[in-house]
Amino acid sequence: MDTLFSGGMGRQSRPAGLGAMDIKERFAFLDPVIPVCVMLLVLIGIASVYSATYDAGASQYFNRQVIWASAGFLLMVAIWLLPFRTLQMISYPAYALSIVMLLAVLVAGKTVAGTRSWFGIGGFGLQPSEFVKVTTLMALASYLSYRHLDRGRFSELATTFGIVLLPFGLIVLQPDMGTAVIFLGALFMILVWAGAPVFLLLSIAAPAAAAVATLFNTTVFLFVISSTLVLLFVMRSNRLLSSMVFSLTVLVGVSVQYLFNQLAPYQQKRILTFLNPDADPLGAGYNVIQSKIAIGSGGIFGKGFLHGTQTQLNFIPAQWTDFIYCVPSEEFGFAGAFLVLALLTAVLLRGVQIASTVKSRFGSLLAIGIVSVLTIHVIINIGMVMGIMPVIGVPLPFMSYGGSSLLTSMIMAGILLNLHRNRKEY
Amino acid sequence: MTDFNLLSRRRSFFYVFVSIVALVYFFRLVQLQVVYEDEYGKRSDENSLRAVVRSPLRGYIYDRNGTLIVDNRPSYTVTVTPAEFDRSRLGYLAEILSADTALIQGRIDRGRAVNRFAPARVMRDVDFPTLAFLEEHRDRLPGVEYLVESKRFYPTKARAAHLFGYTTEVSDAQVQAMPDEYKSGDLIGATGLESKYERFLRGKKGYSFITVNARGESQGQYNGGLSDIAVTEGDDLYLNIDAGLQAVAESLMADKRGAVVAIDPATGGVLAIVSKPDYDLSLLGGVTPADLWTQLNSDPAKPLFNRATMTRYPPGSTVKMMLAAAALEDHVVSPSWGVNCTGVFQFGRRPFRDLHVHGNTGFVQSIQKSCNVFYYQLMLKVGLERWNRYGKMFGFGSPTGIDILEENSGLLPSAGYFDRVYGKGKWTQGYLVSLAIGQGEMGVSPLQMASYAGAIASRGYWHTPTVVGRIRVKESGTWIDNTVQTRRIEVGDDVWRIIREGMDRCVNSEGGTASLARVPGIRVAGKTGTAQNSRVKDHAWFVGFAPVDDPKIAIAVLVENSGYGGTHAAPIASRCIEQFLTGTITPRIIYSPPVAASDSSGEAH
Repeated sequence: MDTLFSGGMGRQSRPAGLGAMDIKERFAFLDPVIPVCVMLLVLIGIASVYSATYDAGASQYFNRQVIWASAGFLLMVAIWLLPFRTLQMISYPAYALSIVMLLAVLVAGKTVAGTRSWFGIGGFGLQPSEFVKVTTLMALASYLSYRHLDRGRFSELATTFGIVLLPFGLIVLQPDMGTAVIFLGALFMILVWAGAPVFLLLSIAAPAAAAVATLFNTTVFLFVISSTLVLLFVMRSNRLLSSMVFSLTVLVGVSVQYLFNQLAPYQQKRILTFLNPDADPLGAGYNVIQSKIAIGSGGIFGKGFLHGTQTQLNFIPAQWTDFIYCVPSEEFGFAGAFLVLALLTAVLLRGVQIASTVKSRFGSLLAIGIVSVLTIHVIINIGMVMGIMPVIGVPLPFMSYGGSSLLTSMIMAGILLNLHRNRKEY
Repeated sequence: MTDFNLLSRRRSFFYVFVSIVALVYFFRLVQLQVVYEDEYGKRSDENSLRAVVRSPLRGYIYDRNGTLIVDNRPSYTVTVTPAEFDRSRLGYLAEILSADTALIQGRIDRGRAVNRFAPARVMRDVDFPTLAFLEEHRDRLPGVEYLVESKRFYPTKARAAHLFGYTTEVSDAQVQAMPDEYKSGDLIGATGLESKYERFLRGKKGYSFITVNARGESQGQYNGGLSDIAVTEGDDLYLNIDAGLQAVAESLMADKRGAVVAIDPATGGVLAIVSKPDYDLSLLGGVTPADLWTQLNSDPAKPLFNRATMTRYPPGSTVKMMLAAAALEDHVVSPSWGVNCTGVFQFGRRPFRDLHVHGNTGFVQSIQKSCNVFYYQLMLKVGLERWNRYGKMFGFGSPTGIDILEENSGLLPSAGYFDRVYGKGKWTQGYLVSLAIGQGEMGVSPLQMASYAGAIASRGYWHTPTVVGRIRVKESGTWIDNTVQTRRIEVGDDVWRIIREGMDRCVNSEGGTASLARVPGIRVAGKTGTAQNSRVKDHAWFVGFAPVDDPKIAIAVLVENSGYGGTHAAPIASRCIEQFLTGTITPRIIYSPPVAASDSSGEAH
């Protein structure tokens, strides 16, 4: 086992009296942390869906979630046992297939809540945009596995971006902003991991920061602009490139402001409501206010399973999907909310640890990609539910109701397990 | 991975990044669930707990014999929950309710301003066919519901519109002043007893606590109903009113304008209080149609005006007993004092006339025959100051303090009053001569006259008239007795004997002006009066009591613009007295007024 990890989670789960070697032997093929945490999260998620949709008995939502979790478990085990090369071999075909599905869903998909992102298969809905997250990570890892971005070749950079921007663009068309944001965030984090030059990272991060800052106010925008200027100056990179990045940053900031002004008032309101949800308690800010009440009123030990008033009385619309975190937070209080947060953190930290242990570059990039996607999901989802992030519809991995999301999360866990099992392969 | 340093740095970056996110979220959880737990807990309770108001029934009203005279009946009120209502159906709803669109709109908007999730009353007392129609079409009218409430019902023939009064919806100002007691749309007493005894009649609201979901749909009782606050019905009023007498007095006055007030001389309890013309209370149960209001307000007969307590007419000759009492008690003249009535009294250059030549007249005859000349001369001896003092003792010139809201104090002229109106030294003793026979400036209400009659009947006990005798408090089951305030009028028995003898003869002896007040088998005492009017017919007065030896009822009757008191007011008093004392009225000849009998205005009878 890796030294980094044995100082963390591993030691706590180690039974007394066993030597370090025994542990290594026993878990050589199966990482102990991820399966335990993932199964706990899935079970808590199922219980939460049960509670959130409880109506004098189990609901259809609960029954379906159990079916999906079972299927997800089988998938996770199957992927864990795949031969090492298989994942890399199917990367491009899987990517191509998922892009075709994205196109198809735009043409023939069902529109749910204003977003055309669903296939109806039998009684079940399927969301290609969830699975695309995995295939894009695989394709990206595959492509970057034998290229080095620090050489600064434009064609390589362009291809790297292209692999992500193609599904990103198709998802924006649906439109599904949450998923799109996750693609961009994950791309940035993979570039960091792949050793992209800091200048390159800055030239991506600065315009993005400017775009967000401009929505707050001018002061924040000017702060971002001046910080960019200082960083560029400190780096002493190519002056032409530096000035291009700076111009891009300003341009993006200004045009976002312009685009914002072009938006319909209700769209503007939705964005501004994030900044102050209490300003519109019955409109866009309603969900966040209600979810904060649910979490806060849970207190330390919660109101008891099936006794959360916010949850049982449906104060949070469609709580079983994006606002599922409220359920354990309200009914089991801080104890429940902390457990979920700790389990998710454990999975993420363990994922970073796997990414840094895996010998193959493909595996390492894929692992960090998965960690990145999961991390951004957690940041946006829990941050949104706790009222410190904008209301962007992304599910909470392993817990939110929804087959595509749950299966994708568990596929990712399966991939992490597979990479861990094959960590010594090059 | 070739470069160990690079790997190490990147790994650290990700560890630190994930850890920082986890820490930030951890502290946010602590903030929400530990630091602000109480606040969010409270907001959570408020979210899901709804208090459903249980409106109490207004208190019942009974008469002195325990007969129910103001009852409650179920009434259907249509409500609209603004948050659920489809605005495009406004016209449709207004059409069904046959109401003005703007009215319905206004009520919904007011409800929206208070709480858009709570049903707002849009129309009270909706009839059953309309309700059934609404039920059938409820799928097209989301948010439209109905409430079963109560409305007043008057089971006896006693209308007593001015006495009972009506209720209206509370004003916004009232809701703001008493937010615990009233919510927008509640009823509040507006006039009469409903208003005066509002704090007893309204009862206390009850609250049932239910849990609701985000759509406000009930999810059942909160805490098994243990936290509910029980409703307390309104307290019942037990009046001194005799419903039978009230009804008879109303029917006797049916085609007249005027008032009848009867009181119990022993207690001041009001036995009947009638003002005519009146209005039908059952049409004013809560929301009064605008056209009915306009009609009531613009009616020249002023049906809303309470003539029993608010009029201010000269009392005419009925006031003579007061002047006699002042003269006799203060020994201004001896009881054997008298005048020789020649039918006219010359004061300065002005002749004051009498209707008849009464010849030698003493106190008893002066009351019996209502001799004006006697009182013209007596007044000059008594003087304004003493007259005014005795007037006050008999309750003139100030409100009686009856437990009804609206009351006119009347006017009892004094030297100060004349100085103020005419200027010091610019009025003469001649002004007093008119006051002697109850004309001129003096103004009284029928209620004051009934109290005055009661004071004579009880030989000097002036009681504050009270309509409500007792209140049955529902919450404790106890009784509250209305306090009776009594003032002794310091006049000796020998004086009362003279005055009462005069009133007895006025009714029962040959030559008395009030012979039409007689009741078969019961000895009635009384005095007539005719209040002058410059242009229209005189107002007829009668005050009296019965039985003479042990008075049980004192009464004042005013019939506006009819003529002589003896002709128009006395017969009404006669039947009221008989009804009260025997429970029936024997048929008797009804006097038909002689043509042009009241033309000779100028002096009073």
